[in-house]
Amino acid sequence: MIEVTGLAKRYGTFTAVKDLSFAVRPGEVLGLVGPNGAGKTTTLRCLAGIIPASAGTARIAGHDIATDPVAAKRTLAFFPDEPRLFDYLTVRQHLAFVARIYGVTHHEALAQSLLEELEIADKADELPGALSRGMKQKLAIACGLLHSPSVMFFDEPLTGLDPLGIRRMKDSILARARAGATIVLSSHLLHLLEEVCSHVLILKKGEKIADGTLADVSARFANGEANVSLEEIFIRATGGTES
Amino acid sequence: MLGALLYLRLTSLRNLLRMRLLRLKQPKYLVGAIVGAAYFWFFFLRRAFIPPVNSPSMAHGMSPELQTLPMMFLALPLVILGLKRVIEAWLAPDDKPGLAFTEAEVAFLFPAPLTRRMLVHFKLLGSQVTILFSSLLIGLVATRWVALGGNYPQHVVGAWVIFSTLNLHITGAAFTVKRLIDGGVSKARRQAAVTAIILGFLALAAFVAWQTATPPTAADTASPLRLIAYATHLTDTGVLYWLVLPFKIVLRPFLADDTAEFLRALGPALLLLAAHYVWVVRAETTFEEASIALAEKRTAQLAAMREGKYRLGAAPAKARPGPFRLNAAGGRPELAFLWKNLLSTNSYLRPRTAFITAFIIVVGCNWLAIQPRPQPKLLVVTIIAGITAGYIAFLGPQFARQDLRSDLVHADILKSYPLHGWQVLLGELLTPLAILTSMLWLALLAFALSFEPPNLPWLTPGLRLVGIGASALVIPLLCALQLLIPNAAAVLFPGWMQATRHRGERGIEMLGQRIIFVFGQLFVIVIALLPAVLGAGILIFVLQWLVGLVVAVAITTIAVVVILGAEIACGLWWLGQRFERLDLAAELRP
Ligand SMILES: Nc1ncnc2c1ncn2[C@@H]1O[C@H](COP(=O)(O)OP(=O)(O)OP(=O)(O)O)[C@@H](O)[C@H]1O
Ligand SMILES: [Mg+2]
Repeated sequence: MIEVTGLAKRYGTFTAVKDLSFAVRPGEVLGLVGPNGAGKTTTLRCLAGIIPASAGTARIAGHDIATDPVAAKRTLAFFPDEPRLFDYLTVRQHLAFVARIYGVTHHEALAQSLLEELEIADKADELPGALSRGMKQKLAIACGLLHSPSVMFFDEPLTGLDPLGIRRMKDSILARARAGATIVLSSHLLHLLEEVCSHVLILKKGEKIADGTLADVSARFANGEANVSLEEIFIRATGGTES
Repeated sequence: MLGALLYLRLTSLRNLLRMRLLRLKQPKYLVGAIVGAAYFWFFFLRRAFIPPVNSPSMAHGMSPELQTLPMMFLALPLVILGLKRVIEAWLAPDDKPGLAFTEAEVAFLFPAPLTRRMLVHFKLLGSQVTILFSSLLIGLVATRWVALGGNYPQHVVGAWVIFSTLNLHITGAAFTVKRLIDGGVSKARRQAAVTAIILGFLALAAFVAWQTATPPTAADTASPLRLIAYATHLTDTGVLYWLVLPFKIVLRPFLADDTAEFLRALGPALLLLAAHYVWVVRAETTFEEASIALAEKRTAQLAAMREGKYRLGAAPAKARPGPFRLNAAGGRPELAFLWKNLLSTNSYLRPRTAFITAFIIVVGCNWLAIQPRPQPKLLVVTIIAGITAGYIAFLGPQFARQDLRSDLVHADILKSYPLHGWQVLLGELLTPLAILTSMLWLALLAFALSFEPPNLPWLTPGLRLVGIGASALVIPLLCALQLLIPNAAAVLFPGWMQATRHRGERGIEMLGQRIIFVFGQLFVIVIALLPAVLGAGILIFVLQWLVGLVVAVAITTIAVVVILGAEIACGLWWLGQRFERLDLAAELRP
């Protein structure tokens, strides 16, 4: 469960996100879309407690991220757009480290099954330097999933994966949502978002233009036409120009 | 084409400077800059530009001996470090490149239609920026060293000559090694040959010295300065003169006493520098024109480079087993950081090594003690232990950097963990803390076992025991306090730290900055220790009348531990707060 009210983030005098409110319930997948620089990454970083918001509140699984960050972070996982890994830890050691940080008991079996699910089990004893970009991303995902988070934030999760990887990623996101997880993801790959998300939120210059279920948002910008693609909606909603 | 490279260098430099200036718009950086500038002015600049006109300054009252000792304390490791770099360059494992390129440079320059020679020049030009900056700083430090003679411009040029020659030599060595590898010379053979040459050199030097030199007189050994003079004189004669000539040529401009001597020394030094330059460029050319048989291999290599797979300057990372078993259940999460960061250190920095060293120290000291005349030998152990402890205590925190300083790039990930800021900081501190503490404890052990106390009535065995115990207790706290300072700098001024973390520039060229940091750190630590020291003094003075010296020291130690512990706890908590609010992305913008 994610509840955001009046969230704003200012960098100096520049406002990157303003007065953003929305809620995502367990089982829902919210797609955050918007032109480059719309404030998607900023929003996700605020929600994950990496940077403090300038105004507004965000409750993650019932915990306020500003006043009770540790409890909130225990339930969430954040996946940055660029996988950030430790140079000197092997794949398996990454998982051991994360298990200790989150206090995951008996992580070995879980780690192994995650690595197999993500198809990097054969690289378990390699350092990140020896992994391809997609594999690094998979490792970052395995690290994030180890403590079975109930809230997940993905920043551009589908970029850099191979077609099979994208399919797997989509399936795995859907499976976790069905299992009751609350998921927010940002992406520019709109045709893929359509297949994964139950809801969308369109941002432009830090402001919410529209949000709701895919059908609702489509209806708003479809002008009565049928079968309008998310891409078309996106372009209509954001005025077709870069922010 | 070189124009484009020059443009890249100069614009990058200009933008870097501009960004630094713009950053001063943030109050915290402005305050930091003012404090830094004041420190710099009072300790270095003032001396360099305003000669201390018969002011009864402290330095004037001191004998040259006393002034020289701290500088020698700093100079010795630098010399050793420089030699180590040179030897490493020749011994190098084959995957070490001669030039380190950043990822952007690989992406932009390698696919571009540039000759390798241009790339070499580009890199050499780039390292000149760091070298010039470092020389300016080293010059400031050297000018405070009155006994050295010379003046600021001489020291700057002298340092520049040393650094540039060193840099060229290491690059040339790397190219030459690469050629040897391509020529089919095996690693083992090359390393054996290099080792043999070094050992042969040392043996020859020792032999010649042994044969020809007059043994040092008592006057020669009276003080370190005299000893240096004696050694210098030794190398002025016979074969030894020729053996050490290259080193002397490089060092002489820096060490020159006056302008005339400096100018005389500069000519040969510049010639040697030019010879090095020619060597580097030629080694590169022949590398390029090497046999056609190797062309295929090189194409593959180049293709790998162009894909960005050829990780120049990257860590020689090798997968290793964890330093200890990390079972997740129920342990403190901070220990996970210790485990992780130890993995990034040399694999000999493990508890096992500490135990073996301790064993050797215990056995060795006891063996010495049962020898017929143990005194002088034990005294040598005591002195070595003391000097080592001094190095570790003062320079250690600048060199053991497996903490937040090297993890700052991961700040986002660290902050998404369910930990308080102070927990992350504490966890990050643990690795250098463990390393420095164990080293200091080992030094203390050697000291305690070898120290033969003078016959003072008040220095009872009981007091010695309590003193050693007190030192052992205070050491980790002192290390923690020392380590907090550079980590605080990393959290408070990441915009500055980041810029000094360029890959491939961690070498000897950065020493200027390091030295300035060491002095600054010393300054801060003295202030931080003031309450504890004052409190301890008063306590000991009062208590020794009441309960005797031994108990007084014991009680005082507890008080000191409490004070330092409280300081560390406050520091950690405060820095943790700052860390929680840190936005690295925002800090790195102007
Ligand atoms: N640390 C920062 N300091 C100042 N401005 C920032 C900072 N981070 C982001 N911004 C600005 O905030 C705005 C939103 O950035 P953000 O990274 O959230 O965009 P985004 O929607 O994720 O874009 P993209 O689709 O390119 O990933 C941009 O204008 C950016 O320049
Ligand atoms: Mg983004």
